[in-house]
Amino acid sequence: MMNKRAKISTAVVMGFAAVCLSWTVVSMSAQAAPGVQEGFDWSGEKIYNRYNETPLQAMTGTDGTRTLNTFYERRQYPGSPPTIPHKVAKTFSGDTTKCISCHGRGGYDAELDAYAPVTPHPENENCFQCHVPVTTEKLFVETDWESVSPPKLGRSMMGGSPPPVPHSLQLREDCIACHTGPGAVAEIRVEHGSRGNCRQCHVPQVTTTTFERNN
Amino acid sequence: MKLNRRSFIKSAAAGSAIAAAGSIFPGISFANWKEQQDPSGQITWKKAPCRFCGTGCGVLVGVSGDRAVAVKGDPNCSVNKGLCCVKGFHVVQALYGKDRLRTAQVRRGGKMVEVPISEALDIIAAKMKETIKQTGKDSVAMYGSGQWTIPDGYVASKLFKGCIGTNNVEANARLCMASAVTGFMTSFGIDEPMGCYEDIEHADVFVTWGNNMAEMHPVLFSRMLASRKRRKNVQIIDLATRSTRSSQASDRSILFKPNTDLAVANAICYEIIRNDWVDWDFVKKHTTFHKGKTNIGYGTEDHFKFKDAPEDISFEEYKEFLSDYTPEKVEKISGVSALEIKYLASLYGDPSKKCTSFWCMGMNQHVRGTWINNLVYNIHLLTGKISTPGNSPFSLTGQPSACGTVREVGTLTHKLPHGVVMKEEHRKMAAEIWDVPLANIDPKPTYHTVEMFRALDRGDIRFIWIQVTNPMITMPNLNRYRNGALKDDRFIVVSDVYPTPTTDVADVILPAAMWVEQEGMFGNSERRTQHFDRIVPGPGETMSDTWQIIEVARRLGYEKQFPWGEDEYIGKIWEEYRRFHDSPKHNMAPYTVLKKRSGVQWPFVDGKETRWRFNSKYDPACKPGSDFDFYGKKDGKAWIWARPYEPAAESPDEEYDFWLNTGRVIEHWHTGTMTRRVPVLHRAVPESYVEIHPEDAMNLGVTNGEMVKIISRRGEVTMKASINGRGNPPRGMVFVPFFDETYKINEVTLDAFCPISKQPDYKKCAVRLEKA
Repeated sequence: MMNKRAKISTAVVMGFAAVCLSWTVVSMSAQAAPGVQEGFDWSGEKIYNRYNETPLQAMTGTDGTRTLNTFYERRQYPGSPPTIPHKVAKTFSGDTTKCISCHGRGGYDAELDAYAPVTPHPENENCFQCHVPVTTEKLFVETDWESVSPPKLGRSMMGGSPPPVPHSLQLREDCIACHTGPGAVAEIRVEHGSRGNCRQCHVPQVTTTTFERNN
Repeated sequence: MKLNRRSFIKSAAAGSAIAAAGSIFPGISFANWKEQQDPSGQITWKKAPCRFCGTGCGVLVGVSGDRAVAVKGDPNCSVNKGLCCVKGFHVVQALYGKDRLRTAQVRRGGKMVEVPISEALDIIAAKMKETIKQTGKDSVAMYGSGQWTIPDGYVASKLFKGCIGTNNVEANARLCMASAVTGFMTSFGIDEPMGCYEDIEHADVFVTWGNNMAEMHPVLFSRMLASRKRRKNVQIIDLATRSTRSSQASDRSILFKPNTDLAVANAICYEIIRNDWVDWDFVKKHTTFHKGKTNIGYGTEDHFKFKDAPEDISFEEYKEFLSDYTPEKVEKISGVSALEIKYLASLYGDPSKKCTSFWCMGMNQHVRGTWINNLVYNIHLLTGKISTPGNSPFSLTGQPSACGTVREVGTLTHKLPHGVVMKEEHRKMAAEIWDVPLANIDPKPTYHTVEMFRALDRGDIRFIWIQVTNPMITMPNLNRYRNGALKDDRFIVVSDVYPTPTTDVADVILPAAMWVEQEGMFGNSERRTQHFDRIVPGPGETMSDTWQIIEVARRLGYEKQFPWGEDEYIGKIWEEYRRFHDSPKHNMAPYTVLKKRSGVQWPFVDGKETRWRFNSKYDPACKPGSDFDFYGKKDGKAWIWARPYEPAAESPDEEYDFWLNTGRVIEHWHTGTMTRRVPVLHRAVPESYVEIHPEDAMNLGVTNGEMVKIISRRGEVTMKASINGRGNPPRGMVFVPFFDETYKINEVTLDAFCPISKQPDYKKCAVRLEKA
C-alpha cells in the first residue's frame, strides 16, 4: 500500500511539474526569437495523458469527505484523540514508516480514495498509544457520556477580523498540519495557506473574561 | 482509478454543502456525543493522576457544570509532560457507564434488594461483630487494592490491624508487585526504586525484561523512543517469552523459554566476571554476597510455609556458583544463543554505556519472582550501574497506587505503615499514632492473598470485605475460589462502581465514589505521591471507600480513632499517616504541598524531592562523605544473591503440551470494569482472544477467528484464535488477555506462587488445545 501510494504521489508531483514546466516553456516561446528547436511544442500530448491519468481529487485538492461532522464523529470530546477510520495492520508498532508514511506529510491514497490528514505531532511515534481502530460499533454497556459543544466557527470579534484559536495548542501547535492542504477538514481549511506565521493574527483564547483593574 | 468524475462531483457537492452550512450558520455542530445543555460551554481544568496504571500520568480533567467532559495531559506533570495514552485520554468516560452502581444492595432471599446505604453499613457492622464473636477476629478479612487511594488503605489498616486486632488485611497488589517488594527487601533492605523516570533521558541501553511497555506503559515507552530518536546510539533490547509491539519497536528482540530468565541473568553475570567488566571499586565498597535456600517449592498446597535462610558467601563462592551458567550451558536451558547472551553482557559490561532495565509482571508474576528481581539487581551491582542518572534497575508497577497504598501504607498481612507487625518497635509506633493499646496489634501475620481465599474456601474466614478490585476474575485457579466464596456461611461485602463477577457473589454491595468523585492520593512507580481533589460529585448514594470504612468503624465503636469530619478527613488522615514516615529515608510532602503540585516524590526532605536514592549527590539520607550508601541494610551494603535457575511449577508435558501465558492489551486495564465502559476502548477491542503461533494453528486446523478450546487440569475456556495478530507467541505457547469476563482465563491458570513473595505466576501453566 505504501509503495503504491508513494508511486502515485510522485506521479502527481511529476505531473504538476510537467504542467508548470510546459506552461513556462510555452509562455517563453511566445516571446522567443525564431530559431527555436523544431517540434518543441509537440510534447503537449503528455500533459493530456497525465491529466487523464491523474485522479481529479489529486488535481483539485479536497475531496470534501472530511468535514467537521466526520471530524467530531471520531472524537469523544473536543480535543480527544480520534479513532482510526480505516484498516490497519495489527502488528503495527514503533515502526515509524507505517502511520507516518501517510500522515506525516499527507497526500492522496488511492486505496482509500482519500487525502491523508497530516498529524500535528509527528514527533510522537507510538501512534497506537492514543489512536485505536474501531472493530465494532456495539458497546459493552450503554454510556451516559456527554460533553460540551465543539467550538463554534466564525468567532471573529468584528466582521472579517481574524478569529482566535478556539482549542488548546497542546499536541496541536502546528496549525498548518490541520488547517491547510487537501486533507484538511473542509470547514476549517484556510484560504490563505501560503502564509506561515499563523499566530501573527490568530491568538489562543484562554479565557472569556474581560480585563478588570484590581486597584 | 476507482473514482469516476460523477462520484467526485457528488462528493464535492456534499462537502461544499456542509462547508457552506458551517459558514452560513456559525456555530453549527455535528458532534457525535450527547451535548451538554450548559450555556457557557466553558471548561475549567483540574489536575489529577490518571485512574489507570502505575505510570502515574498527570491529567487535566475538563469540567463543565458538574460533569467531567474532557481530558488533557497535564503539562506540569514531569511523568508524561502533557501526553497520555488512549486510556488516559478517555479516562473521564469511565465515570459515566449507564450501569453505574448508585445505591447499596443487600441479598435477601437470594435476591439483591436496594437499601439506603446507612442500612447496608449497619448490616456490615452487625455481621462483623457477630462473626468476630462466633469465630474469632481472624475470621473477618479485608481485601483491598493497589487502586485504593492512600487514605482508603490507611483507614483499612488502622481499623483491622489497630482496632479489631487482626492481620487479615491484603490487597490485590500481592498479585502484581509482591515479588518486586521482596526483591527490594532482600537486595537493598528497603522498598521501591532508587531511580526515577528521568533515567529514560540519560540511559544508552534499555533492556525490557518480559515487559511489553509499548502496551502496558505506553507513555514511558514513548519517552524511551523519543530519547532514542533524539540521541544517537540508544539501544532498546526486548527480552521476552513472546513477540509483542515492544519487540517490534526494539533494536533487538530476544526470546527465552518461560522461567529461564533466571539462567539468562546468571549467564550475564558469569560473562561480566569472566571478562572482568566488574566495577571492583563499587563492588568492594558497597556490596556483600549471599545465598539462600534452593528447591523452595511452589505453594500449590494449602498452609504452605516457607522461610528463607540467608547465608554469607565469598565472591569466590559466588563465582563458583556461576560456573553452572556459562552462555553455552544456558543456551541449552533458555533457547537464547550464547552469542546473544554475550552480547547482552557486553552492553551491561561496557563502562561507557548507561544501562536501564525495566520490568513489571513478567518478572513479578513468576514462581521465582523474588529471585529474578535479585538477579537483575546483581547485574547492576556488579557493574556499579545503579542509583545514577541513566543507570537504573527499574521495577515498574501496574496499578495507580500499588506503591502508594499497598507498599507504603503497608496493606499486606505482615506490614504496618512503618515496618512489620513482627517487630515490637514498629507495633509500638503504630499503637501510639493510632491511639490503640499495643496489645491490639497482633505480632503474627495471617494470610497472604492466595491463602486468604483458600481460608475463605475452607471456612477459616467467614466475612470478607472486598474494595476496588475484582478477584472473581483475577484469582488464579478461579473455580476453587469462586466456589469458596459462594459457600453458605460466607459473607461477602463488595464496594465497587459497576457490577462485576465479584459483585455477583456479594451479600452486600456498596456503591463507591470513583476516582475524582472523591479527594485522595495515589503513589506511582517512581515514589511520586499525587493528590487529587473531589472534582465532580458522584451519582446517587455513592460514598468514598475511605468514608465507608470510617462509617463501619464508628458503628463498631471506634469513634475515637476515626474522629474526622467529612469536609476535612483526607487532609487529617494524610497528616496522621505522614508521621509514620518521618525520616529522611521516607519523608512525605505535607498536604498543602501535595494539593498544589502535580505529584511530589519522596523522600521529601527540606522542601526538596529525592530523584536518585542511595547516591549522596542526590539523597540527603546517605551518610555524609559516602558516595553510595545502601542504608536499607545495616552495614550500608547491597546484597548480591546466588539464586539458581529452577523450572516453573507446571511445564508442558505429553498430555498438556502448551504453555499458557496471560496479560493485557493497551486498550483495557485489568478486568475491564472501567475500560469496557469507555466507548473508544471497547470498540477497539470488544473481546478477548487467544494468540497462537501460525504453525500451531495450522496443526490444530484453526484459522484466524475460529474457536479454540484451552484446557488445563483446572478448567477450560473456549475463545477465538488470533493468528499473526498484535502479538505472536513462539511455537508451543498461547497468550490470552484476561480482561474479558466472558472468557475467564483464570479458571485455567494455576495458583502456584513465589514462596518468598507469595505472588502467583499468571504467565506459566500447562494447557492443551482443541479445535472447538
